[in-house]
Amino acid sequence: MKIAVAGKGGSGKTTISGTLARIMARQGAAEVLAIDGDSNPNLAMTLGITREQTSQVLPMPRTILQRVTDEQGNAKTILAKRPDEIIHDFGIPTPDGVTLLVMPGVGHAGAG
Amino acid sequence: MCGAHAAVRSLVKEMVDQYDRPTVIDMEAGLEHLSRGTTRNVDCLLAVIEPYFKSMETGARVNELAKELGIKQVFGVANKVRRAEDERAMREFCGRRNVELFGFIPYDDTLMEAERAGVAPLDYDRTGLAVQAIDELAKKLLQVNGAL
Repeated sequence: MKIAVAGKGGSGKTTISGTLARIMARQGAAEVLAIDGDSNPNLAMTLGITREQTSQVLPMPRTILQRVTDEQGNAKTILAKRPDEIIHDFGIPTPDGVTLLVMPGVGHAGAG
Repeated sequence: MCGAHAAVRSLVKEMVDQYDRPTVIDMEAGLEHLSRGTTRNVDCLLAVIEPYFKSMETGARVNELAKELGIKQVFGVANKVRRAEDERAMREFCGRRNVELFGFIPYDDTLMEAERAGVAPLDYDRTGLAVQAIDELAKKLLQVNGAL
C-alpha cells in the first residue's frame, strides 16, 4: 500500500504521515518506507529521531537522478541505482523500523 | 518552473513507481505534485484539511486533481477539529464538493507540547487524542486495503 499525504503547509500532514508510518510498522508491515518529499525535518522527529540526531539526517544526493538520452534521442530522467540500493545507501533507520528517505532540498527561500 | 523542484518530483515518482513495499509519502505542500502526476501511482491519497475555508477549498481541489489522475482511493482527513461546529462545517463542505471524509483528528495541545519537548507525538503520549485518531485512521486504511 502506497499512501500520499497532501495538504497546505502547516496543515499537520507531516505529523499524520510520520505517525501513520510508525503505526503501520508496529502492526507488522515489513519495512515501511517514509518519504520526505518536502525537506521537512519534522518528519524525522515524528518518526522518533531525537532533535539532537536530526542533524545527522541527510537528504539523498541529487546525483541519484540522471538525465539520459535514449537511442531515439529522447531525453528522460532515470534513477542511477535500484530503489533497494537507494534505500540501503541513503535510507535512515528509525526506532519503529520505518526507513526514512529524505528528498534533496531545493532551498525553500526564494526558490520555486 | 524551477528545475530543482521538478527533479525532486521525478525522484519521488520513480521511487513510488519502482519500490514495491508499504510507503507513506509526506508530499510537498501545494498542488504541483498532482498537476505533474508525481503521485499518480499511489494507491491512496489523503488530503489533510483544516476547518477553515481556504484549507477546505484547497482540499477540494486536491480531491479533484487526484481523482483526475486516476488515484483509486482519495480521502479527506479533517485535522485540528476543535468543536462540533468545525465538524459540521467540514461535513457540509465536503458533502457539497464530493470529498469523502475518512477521519476526524481533534485539535490536540499535546502535539505542541511534544514538539517543544523534541519528542515524537507517538512517544510523547500514546493516549493523546490526535495520536488515537491517527491510529483509528491507520486501522481503517488497513481494512479498506485488506493488507499492507
